[in-house]
Formats: sequence, structure tokens, C-alpha cells
Amino acid sequence: MRAVHCHTVVSFIVPLAMATSTSAVGRLLPAISSLLRPPPEDELREYGGRGLVRGKRVIDVGCGDGRMALGCAAYASEVVGVDPDPEAIRLARAKARQLGAANVRFKVGVAQELPFPDEHFDVVILSWTL
Amino acid sequence: MVDALKEARRILRRHGTLVDARPDSRVFAYAECRGATGTYRRTGVIATAREPLKDDRASDRAIATAARNKWFRSLRSGRFWHRVLFEDRSAMQRYLDDHVRFVHRVRWTVDAAKRRRWNSEGWAIRRAVRYQLFERI
Repeated sequence: MRAVHCHTVVSFIVPLAMATSTSAVGRLLPAISSLLRPPPEDELREYGGRGLVRGKRVIDVGCGDGRMALGCAAYASEVVGVDPDPEAIRLARAKARQLGAANVRFKVGVAQELPFPDEHFDVVILSWTL
Repeated sequence: MVDALKEARRILRRHGTLVDARPDSRVFAYAECRGATGTYRRTGVIATAREPLKDDRASDRAIATAARNKWFRSLRSGRFWHRVLFEDRSAMQRYLDDHVRFVHRVRWTVDAAKRRRWNSEGWAIRRAVRYQLFERI
């Protein structure tokens, strides 16, 4: 087993008083700061590398503030991030603008009702979502 | 959860890939303190709280249901570790106090005198993430 280092120091209290009911999945859980998660490039490497998403249509369900979605954007042809938290989506959009990521869209939505046609995506990512 | 997997299958093309990744509550997380050389030494273990354990088992059952229904076929699975870094021990404890996944109390494996000496060093929680890649059938 290998340690993956996260280089950002957390020096604040993150409000994590969240519902944990299984029925709340994709609906009530607030987005957690990217600072508490592995860097997306590390996570992608574990899943098999950039090839997993290169040139593909990717959806990140439960994207939070866009950590994984934006991490995939450099390689994928199209990335969509969906999260039930409008504040998280606002943050994700701001980050995408800042990074100039033109192939990423973020939508408010829940995992149980995704507003996309059948068989639209090549890769679905559920990172810390189920 | 099964609903979410069913919806994921609907929007995924045939032979497309589903990635499921989440904290691995089957193993402990560790409290660590950074030494002078920059390496981290293990100072305690942190268990997962009871409710998240139940949730994790429900997620496992949902995945099993999806596989049983032949929605997805498992391609590969694994585990990796990452560190959440804190400025000092009190910052880590504040994080644990507010956290619903971990129990709030670290089970220390080093004595109190050492912990006090290392209070203002960099601290970290090293946690496991497990993942599984599936092919949409």
C-alpha cells in the first residue's frame, strides 16, 4: 500500500454536521471541501491513469466543488459535474472559470434523477458519493 | 443508493466505465505526526463511527444488488491512502470533534508526554480510500 500525500494543510474547522441517513444519499449531504480529499490527479492515477477519461464524456455525480470534474477536464472531451448543493455548484463554476476549463459544465441535481439522455456518457464517477 | 446506480447505468453507454470510490471503513485511519525529517510517525488509530459503518454496508449492498442484476461487471478494485494535513494537534482534534465519520477520540499508541512534546508539529490523518471500476453491461 502506498501513501498519497495531500499537500494542503487544513487549518480551519470544516462544518461537517451532516445527515448520514442512507436515504439521504445524493440529496442532503453538503459538499465537503476539496482540501480534505486526495488531489484528483492522484485519484485518477489509482483508477488507471488519464487514459480512463482521455477523449471521453465524463460525469462526476456528487461533484461537490468540482475537484474530480475539473481534474478530468484537461483530458476528457466533455465533463459534467452534478451535485445537489447549489453553493457547491457555484464554487465549482467559479473554479472552472478561473481555470478556463471550457469543456466542463456544472448542474444542480440529484444522483437519482440525472437530466441526461440514455447512454450519453463514457465514464460515470461516484467519488465519495454512494 | 440502488436508484442512483440504476440511473448511472441509464446514462452510461454500453461497456462504459463506472467508478465507485469511498472511504474504506474496513480499516482504521491513523493519526500521524510529522518528524524532523519530514516523514510521518504513527501516533494513534481512529475508528469509524457506528452510523457511517452502517451506511458503508448499505453502499456495499447496493453495489452487490447492481452486480446481481447484471447492470455492471466488476473490472478492478483497490485501495489507496491519503493524508489530510493539519497545522498542529489541536487543529486535528477540532476536525475530529466535528466529524461524523470518525469517532472523536484517537486511540493513542504513543504516550502522553510524547504527544505533548509534538503538539505543535504538523499532524495528519491518514485514511484509506477503496475503489472499484465496473463495466456497464
